[in-house]
Amino acid sequence: MAETLTIGKALNTGLRRAMERDPKVLIMGEDVGKLGGVFRITDGLQKDFGDERVIDTPLAESGIIGTAVGLAIRGYRPVCEIQFDGFVYPAYDQIVSQVAKMHYRSQGKVSLPIVIRIPFGGGIGAVEHHSESPEAYFAHTAGLKVVSCSNPDDAYWMIQQSIESDDPIIFMEPKRRYWEKGQVNVDTASAPLHVSRVVRPGADGTLLAYGPMVRTALDAATAAAEDGRELEVIDLRTLSPLDMAPVYESVRRTGRAIVVHEAPGNLGLGSEIAARITEECFYSLEAPVLRVTGFDTPYPAARVEEEYLPDLDRVLDAVDRSFGF
Amino acid sequence: MTVKEFNLPDLGEGLTEGEILKWLVQVGDTIELNQPIVEVETAKAAVEIPAKWAGKVDKIFHPEGTTVEVGVPIIAINTDPSGATAAPTPSAASLAAVEIAGDAPVEPGMIGGPAPGGRTAVLVGYGPKTTAAKRRPRATAATVPTQPPATPVAPAPVEVAAVEVAPAAPPRPVQGSVLAKPPVRKLARDLGVDLAGIAGTGPNGSITRDDVLSVSAAPTAPAPVTATMTGPAAAPRVGREERIPVKGVRKLTAENMVASAFTAPHVTEFLTVDVTRSMKALERLKTKRDWRDVRVSPLLMVAKAALVALKRHPMVNSSWQATSAGAAEIVVKHYVNLGIAAATERGLIVPNVKDADALTTRELADALNALVATAREGKTSPAAMSGGTFTITSVGVFGVDTGTPILPPGESAILVFGAIRDTPWVHKGKIKIRQVTTLGLSFDHRIIDGELGSKFLRDVGAFLEDPEGSLLAWS
Repeated sequence: MAETLTIGKALNTGLRRAMERDPKVLIMGEDVGKLGGVFRITDGLQKDFGDERVIDTPLAESGIIGTAVGLAIRGYRPVCEIQFDGFVYPAYDQIVSQVAKMHYRSQGKVSLPIVIRIPFGGGIGAVEHHSESPEAYFAHTAGLKVVSCSNPDDAYWMIQQSIESDDPIIFMEPKRRYWEKGQVNVDTASAPLHVSRVVRPGADGTLLAYGPMVRTALDAATAAAEDGRELEVIDLRTLSPLDMAPVYESVRRTGRAIVVHEAPGNLGLGSEIAARITEECFYSLEAPVLRVTGFDTPYPAARVEEEYLPDLDRVLDAVDRSFGF
Repeated sequence: MTVKEFNLPDLGEGLTEGEILKWLVQVGDTIELNQPIVEVETAKAAVEIPAKWAGKVDKIFHPEGTTVEVGVPIIAINTDPSGATAAPTPSAASLAAVEIAGDAPVEPGMIGGPAPGGRTAVLVGYGPKTTAAKRRPRATAATVPTQPPATPVAPAPVEVAAVEVAPAAPPRPVQGSVLAKPPVRKLARDLGVDLAGIAGTGPNGSITRDDVLSVSAAPTAPAPVTATMTGPAAAPRVGREERIPVKGVRKLTAENMVASAFTAPHVTEFLTVDVTRSMKALERLKTKRDWRDVRVSPLLMVAKAALVALKRHPMVNSSWQATSAGAAEIVVKHYVNLGIAAATERGLIVPNVKDADALTTRELADALNALVATAREGKTSPAAMSGGTFTITSVGVFGVDTGTPILPPGESAILVFGAIRDTPWVHKGKIKIRQVTTLGLSFDHRIIDGELGSKFLRDVGAFLEDPEGSLLAWS
């Protein structure tokens, strides 16, 4: 059965399904209970599942994650909401020192089935700390898995698959796309969690994106088609581990690759992806792998964020550059 | 009269509601801009909210003690008390409600509801844009060459870009089948070589730098080959015959060939040699630090062999010159201007490396590479093409074994070498696969007897069979 949902509502429904299925699933975070989350992702869950399963926490991210570690050790499956991307750093120590290492430290005896939801990225005109893209910090850390959804169907299924995973997962939500609608097949998942997918086929070049930039890449591909260039768009979906096989297959066909993300370019996901493509597809490359990213600055004030964020035109400029080689 | 409704504003991140603690104004009060009107308590603090407009309090919607959600009107202010009575105009009335599927439409200004400027309201920030992405006008699209690098038609893309305003990009064949490192692709494009036509010899059948260069140099046409009219073969066929004016390089080549062929009595000898050791010596050369960035090819070994053999047989490096008295004399050159036959787009040319005998091997390699590159660019100067004393031509790049070259006028010998092939060969009493090529030497029988020509050719062959041993034995 297909339903039309926004990404936000799809996440909400997916969380609800997971809580119905498994009484060990808990939700923790700032204002996730009574308020239903600042983006209403947990709306109505406390009302239906009670305040012992949907827990309003103090404003202390380190404490949220530390508590989740303890709960996970005792068999719970905590789903923690970090209210905004820029608030995750107090919890960074817990995430990289405890969440990421427990399974390894215990020689595989203790797993931490924790999901850490982070609404990330800019484009909502918000103040400092509310528009960042910290995914590379987590993708860089062994022991964590990092995924990002870009559409309602993935939002619905990936959040459930993440909760079912016994490994800790950083779940990056494209906050500026929360209100975008799409069809959700609520009966069957269209793909496993750690799989990247072609979302638009094309023969002339490959755009690689995840989360909020998938929409931008698709818009760019539509615009490029007007210029006679058919661009393939791949939604990476899983940032750690990366699922590169579909990427290699595509780049070997098209000979060109452009990675798009909001995070700064320096040592961002695009750097790793470019390196891997170069290592695996070297003989097929018609041009170097290009990156369209945020700039290497702190995230700017809201009034100028549209200059900072990769958009349709910056992607098309990169396409032009790629074809110039 | 204009009545504006004032909504409970966003009081801070993560907060969506506040409790009205105390109204500081009453209905009917006249208020000033920024005058505190209400005290509201949030989860974080009690705050006074200032008036957004000056005017007269028309209505207060919520009594003290009630909790109000952000975005809900709390007070109506008549900003034009002297005007006529009118119904309150909700500030966001013009905004259409956005429907969230499965839920009732969200009120304007509420989270997920519409916000000014084509945005969706959020707690913190202006909210994401709900408008579709638009591209800016693009003037640059036309200036980017759409020509795929792997199939260049020499300088065409630049002209196209300069002239056409918006060329529709032609459908491009997928380049998946051609394997070449990016730098090799760049080289091929610079040289105007179509990678699709090359059989690669590198890893996985990829096209190497040498493959590109040898194809590019391929027209290093030897004299005999130029006798066939290869140039216009690709021209459109019109009628049963076609007449091509003989001019330029073609005319000059023809005159020289006729002059040479009917002046100097040609003799050609052949020698098949095992060049495996030479090829290995080249490989070793490539591993040396000084040689890392130098392109080396079999031509370098053949040139070196010829120079060594010329030193042993100076008469081969000579010229028959008629004197004024109708007699003639033989001019023996004590320098070698080593000619290399090169086919270019304009035809066969034979530039030479001046005083090649005085160069170190490394200098010789650089000189040969420069000579080939210059010829390919069509920039060879007349000076570089005159004064040759001995010439080498390679027909191996065409995949043939050897030929019977015609002497460049004024020279007494020309050396040709063919394709280097893996061949069953008796080596140290056993049949082994060896790299074998066929050398040919055409010489002017007026100057050079069969014995001298044979000795010279044999020395060239001996050098190629065992370069190090020959150098030791002959020096």
